[in-house]
Amino acid sequence: MLTVAIVTLLFVPVLLDRDDFPLATYPMYARQRAEVVAITTAVGVDATGGEQRLGLGIIGQTDDPLIAVGELRAAVRVGEADRRCAEIARRVDDPSIVGVLVVTERHDVVDHVKSGDGFREREVHAECDVPGGQS
Amino acid sequence: MVAPAERLAAFRAIANGFATAYLVVRAPMFVDLGDRAAADFDPVGFLAWLDDPLPYWLVVTLLVAAIWAGAASALGWRYRITAPVFALTLLALTTLRSSWGQLLHFENLMALFAIVLAFSPAADAWSLDAHRGSRVPGPSARSGHPLVVASWIVVATYVIAGIAKLRYGGWGWIDGDTLRNHIASAAARLDLLGGIPAPFAELAVRSGDLLVVAAVLTMVVELGAPLALLDRRLRNAWVGATWLMHLGILATMAIGFPSPLFGVAFAPLFRLELGVDRIAGWIGRGTNRPVNEVISEQQGSRG
Repeated sequence: MLTVAIVTLLFVPVLLDRDDFPLATYPMYARQRAEVVAITTAVGVDATGGEQRLGLGIIGQTDDPLIAVGELRAAVRVGEADRRCAEIARRVDDPSIVGVLVVTERHDVVDHVKSGDGFREREVHAECDVPGGQS
Repeated sequence: MVAPAERLAAFRAIANGFATAYLVVRAPMFVDLGDRAAADFDPVGFLAWLDDPLPYWLVVTLLVAAIWAGAASALGWRYRITAPVFALTLLALTTLRSSWGQLLHFENLMALFAIVLAFSPAADAWSLDAHRGSRVPGPSARSGHPLVVASWIVVATYVIAGIAKLRYGGWGWIDGDTLRNHIASAAARLDLLGGIPAPFAELAVRSGDLLVVAAVLTMVVELGAPLALLDRRLRNAWVGATWLMHLGILATMAIGFPSPLFGVAFAPLFRLELGVDRIAGWIGRGTNRPVNEVISEQQGSRG
């Protein structure tokens, strides 16, 4: 009886269609996904205007890409891209990088993996200088 | 189900020991949770009532307490205290990790196993508590029931994941394109975030019809999980297939689910005490009960 009750409890998130922790609906990779995907990220800019990809530790102070992207996307959604840009800029430890852009890029991810060329378009949400950088 | 106390004890040592080791290895990540911006805090689970994130000192305190209690409970020391403390602190830390705008699903089984063990007589054998004089009880439903619950938690987890794919993705999930796009998206995201994509991501994306096979097998593994409870052959087949699925996820998406990859997720499905005794025999040390006594009791309990 207790086992039945516990197993039933596990399915409550399914009945409510509400993901949570530790009882969950485990929806990871369940939804259909298009080939063109919007990815919010941050890029570093050097003195010549060239761009460099920043690492997860710089972008999100984490080693988990889901957390880094999730936080950045949430910041953009609530209009705090400038604040997030400044935070990221403070973490930049490469002296050649003088600025940071917070962007949402649309990529054809299949083309990106196959040929490295999946970029379609970009929207810049925030632009900020790296403290102490020589722009 | 009747089971020897040693089986539940082995599960205790494996599950709580693994979770403790996980906390130690991932300690820097957990400590960083006390240093994140309050604006990013989106609490879930039993932390949902919080308005502000936990202060740094509390996160560190929880982590230290969890590691101490986890090690103690794995060894079966003052189990009636350390096991619930571990379950609570582990739940707090893993819930906190999912409270930053992105629910993660890497630690659910670890937390749920710790909760089951906290309510179980898992230190009746093979524990520091048991060494202090109490007689080890014989096989009983009292030892078996927590293993039944843990086993059902494992299979239900995978069934729920399979249901999610049908619910949110529909039957089209098994045509291979969705899986291909998820693999490609994970690789592209890592690349764009300055990470290193999975070594076999490109191969998987180019593999065409093989992804259809992978998608179908994924659904079979997930929705077919309850078959593992029917008999040993089905259990072994399902565990092997599920482990390979997780290996494939790691190799193509650079996403690792620690508990299944290290086999801990499947532990409650097996007669662990036989494996422990076999290993103890190999290294030339005994357990506190002879192997033949344990086996005889099991044979007796099966009638």
